[in-house]
Amino acid sequence: MKYILPTMALVFTLSMAGALHGGSLPGVVVITNESARIDHISATALKNVYTGRTTYWDGGEHVVIIVLADKTDEALSEVSGMDASQFRTFWQRLVFSGRGEEPRTAVDAASLVILVGSTKGAIALAPADAPLKGVKTLELK
Amino acid sequence: MLLLLALLAAIPAGRLEAADWQLFGPNAPDIEFHGFASQGFLDSTDYNYLGHSKTGSFEFTELGLNTSFNPFPRMRIAAQAFAYDVGDAGRYDPVLDYALAEYTFNDYFGIRAGRIRRPEGIYNDIQDVDLGRTFVLLPQGVYDARFRDFYVSLDGGEIFGTVPLGQAGSLTYEIYGGLMRPSMDGGVALQFRNSLPPTAHLDQIIPCKLYGGQLWWITPIDGLRLGVGGCYSPWTEFTLTAQTPAGTVHLQNPSDTFTQQYSAEYQWKEWTFQTEFYFLNLNPEAAGVAPSSSFSWYASAEYRFNKWFEVGSYYTQYYNESFGPSGPGTGSATFPSDAYQKDLAVALRFDITDRWIFKVEGHYINGTALLQDNVDNPVRRENGWMMIAIKSTISF
Repeated sequence: MKYILPTMALVFTLSMAGALHGGSLPGVVVITNESARIDHISATALKNVYTGRTTYWDGGEHVVIIVLADKTDEALSEVSGMDASQFRTFWQRLVFSGRGEEPRTAVDAASLVILVGSTKGAIALAPADAPLKGVKTLELK
Repeated sequence: MLLLLALLAAIPAGRLEAADWQLFGPNAPDIEFHGFASQGFLDSTDYNYLGHSKTGSFEFTELGLNTSFNPFPRMRIAAQAFAYDVGDAGRYDPVLDYALAEYTFNDYFGIRAGRIRRPEGIYNDIQDVDLGRTFVLLPQGVYDARFRDFYVSLDGGEIFGTVPLGQAGSLTYEIYGGLMRPSMDGGVALQFRNSLPPTAHLDQIIPCKLYGGQLWWITPIDGLRLGVGGCYSPWTEFTLTAQTPAGTVHLQNPSDTFTQQYSAEYQWKEWTFQTEFYFLNLNPEAAGVAPSSSFSWYASAEYRFNKWFEVGSYYTQYYNESFGPSGPGTGSATFPSDAYQKDLAVALRFDITDRWIFKVEGHYINGTALLQDNVDNPVRRENGWMMIAIKSTISF
């Protein structure tokens, strides 16, 4: 019993450290459609978007997540807490229970940027070296 | 069923994209369409379970087609048609699974009304969506594949949202109320008929009010969430006709129903661990009818090797009359094994593509409490038995 509370405190502290981690995603930037009324986003807010807890932007536009298949899996995992397969299953659960809309998929970085640029409310994790024309890049705070 | 098999066989290993159409011009909101089709196969050694599985059964099908769109800011409309067949339950009768309008004021508060899917535990609102899990069969004492008409949807509404708790994580909630409309082809009707003597006939299940909620604490430990859910139905009524020596008698069998479910889920790297505890209490209103109850729990672990393969295993126990006057697991005098069912399952999921999955699963089962088919299982023993479940699902 005497070890339980210190162990719980340690786990809690470590989890806090993990939760507060963030500020940048190596090799990846967060981009949105230019209609988004924000310039920066916190790690927590970004996680809320990718886990379906935030479904609308401040202006009321619904969030459309666009995923670049296979290329940004590591960042997706860091942002959502799920690997790519878990992420897909998670959203399929929401779609078929009437609780959400499935993220769309782009096959390469160029089409991802075009899709985000042409879809109101869109957000995506894009490779930092992708040509980011016609989209807004969010600062991750 | 053959048509569905042919369809499954005809689907190439390529990808089917979800349809995303602008039917009313470029300024109209996008309308999304999604769907899935699942076909399963069950084969068991000693008993017919979830169909005529002793001889191999393909009576294990689910079909869904849904649409959704956002007509106005913060508003969403969604609907899904659904049909299923699990043994003698479902029989492919198409139903309006959900049809709802949803308005989200902010992250903390939203409202959903119409026909909604009822949240309870990890899987209740998606228990018939094969895509959403590793296993072919969820632990049946908690999520009985035959009972979806009774537990999954209700006509009414719910409020929902996420409340941040600072460094303590966040709390998501869904609180609902409405009317549930059990089908005469559904699993509950079948179970009730199974309990009737040959001289009695089930006439109707009256639509019943249902209230409940589901809370999830998203803990600050990354990947860990803890949940509590439950529902209460003050009046669930079955009407039946019985032939007696005195003539035909019309009977009513109302009861109130109360469920509780406690859940924990932890996702860590490629692992997912889950455990749930489920309690069901039925209290008949009629004098002289004893209350009944059941208890079930499971613990599961799943591991994803890569984008194609995932394995999982669970162990589950189910007891009926666990809190009844005769004590835990006493069952019937004739067949003691009707009081419990224990199941060890091992599953392999193969994601052939993002939109086509294949699963195979083995079960070692002890007990017969969930067979609920006395005609096809006239003798039930306290020995172990086995079942294989195979299922494939396509989606778009």
